[in-house]
Amino acid sequence: MEQPAPRVLVADDEDDIRGLVRLAVRRADCTVVAEVADGAAALVAAREHVPDLAVLDVSMPGATGLEVCTTLRAEAATAGVRVLLLSAGASADDVARGLAAGADSYLAKPFSVAGLVARVRELTAGVSA
Amino acid sequence: MTAVEEAPVTADEVAGLRAEVARLTDERDALRAQMQHRDGELEVATRMLAARAQTMTSVIDAVTEQSIIGTDLDGVVRVWNPGAEKLLGLPRADVVRRRLITDFHLPEELAGAGGGLTALVELARVEGRDVRDWTYVTATGEERTVSVAVTPRSDDSGEHAGWNFVATDMTEVRASERLKDQFVGLISHELRTPLSSILGYLELVLDDPDQPLTDEQRSHLGTVERNAQRLLRLVGDLLFTAQVEAGHFTLQPEDVDLAGVLRAAEETARVAAAAGEVQLDLVLPAGRVTVRGDAVRLGQACDNLVSNAVKFTPAGGRVTLALQAGWRAADGGFTAEERPGTTPVARIAVSDTGYGIPAAELDQLFTRFFRASTARRNAVKGVGLGLSITRTITTAHGGTLDVASVEGQGTTFTLTLPR
Repeated sequence: MEQPAPRVLVADDEDDIRGLVRLAVRRADCTVVAEVADGAAALVAAREHVPDLAVLDVSMPGATGLEVCTTLRAEAATAGVRVLLLSAGASADDVARGLAAGADSYLAKPFSVAGLVARVRELTAGVSA
Repeated sequence: MTAVEEAPVTADEVAGLRAEVARLTDERDALRAQMQHRDGELEVATRMLAARAQTMTSVIDAVTEQSIIGTDLDGVVRVWNPGAEKLLGLPRADVVRRRLITDFHLPEELAGAGGGLTALVELARVEGRDVRDWTYVTATGEERTVSVAVTPRSDDSGEHAGWNFVATDMTEVRASERLKDQFVGLISHELRTPLSSILGYLELVLDDPDQPLTDEQRSHLGTVERNAQRLLRLVGDLLFTAQVEAGHFTLQPEDVDLAGVLRAAEETARVAAAAGEVQLDLVLPAGRVTVRGDAVRLGQACDNLVSNAVKFTPAGGRVTLALQAGWRAADGGFTAEERPGTTPVARIAVSDTGYGIPAAELDQLFTRFFRASTARRNAVKGVGLGLSITRTITTAHGGTLDVASVEGQGTTFTLTLPR
């Protein structure tokens, strides 16, 4: 029987960026379970769907991607959700902050769609097996 | 009775006495003259001393934009200039001999630094001076950010008698610096986000196997992509420059293989070189040349030098990237063999056969936004940040960036790094 596709939550306040992420997630053979535009909604959706992967923008209204990531890690039900942070800040400090918040991976904007597809595949590898 | 006869005074004796009187008179006159002279000197010295004290007082009193506070060894205020009156809102009479310097500091900040007068003067005691930001609290309770220079104060016999605190109000300056940082961060984010969309969707259109583009469409979209990338680099350069200014520029040191850095720089420049019909040569040594540094920043420095060289070289010209390991002598000279007194270095040279830079402009070459006249004359694109960034990166690595150029013949930039 075919394995169900890994489930991904997409959170970014920019419609256009969400569109790109959605496309990359589909190309990585995953399903988008929820698309939200702010941090608070990202937390609600994450608790409801408990996705395999959350792709979070760092600079979102409501709560930043870093705050969402920290909260997900702190709650038992969502502690195992993989997190990929997307950020327009590309300095080493930004990456360090993201990883300190518990993110599994970090991608600086602008990212290449092919690169994002590869990263999503990497982070969801094995979860549907 | 025998009369005692005085011996008659001889003429010689009279002459001797006369001479003695004359000598004593001369001596008295000389002493008198000397006394009068000393008297005059004393008067002049007194007048000069008074004038000097007056000058000092008038200078200190004329300083209205800096607060000058002098204290004794216990921190009791002894000197309080009009600048201090203005900044802290208290007249001299209310403060001198009555208040402590620490009374005007934010207590939490002082406590955080160890507390009391010691926190303020410890570094000046050890190093002779200390300049840093503190927070003063004015008579009305207002907090002001001040840059305070602390120095020891001596009395007339040269004994350590107290401390000087010269403070400049930086409240507005620091606020505007913070605002500038926030502004740059915001601009960077606001420009990168739309550029992310532009570049991402372009990638989708250019790489869609189901709907292949015509050659013309591909060429036009290639132009769009190139320009979006250029905009992105500009945003990165501006952000980098602002970070350096704000002191937020840090390196992530690791062992960096410079041949790899140069290969990547050559690859990056290859398309532009081919388009400009410029030959690009890479000369690498047989062995590895490794330095301790930030690979990303060193890559950026090399990219800047190579892309500049390509841009400044007309069709038919040549750009050479060369890497060498060697030693630097104390006089800055480079040798291929180790000699006494030399230190190991790696040298990257980027030479071109391009327009060159006029000798008179070489000094300004590393100034931000400076553009050589040959760049403007030959319509070479750029904003003038690349070389300033390259030098900042080089200096942060403890290296040097040198340039030699002959107008009409070409330029060589030499980046030397300790290894």
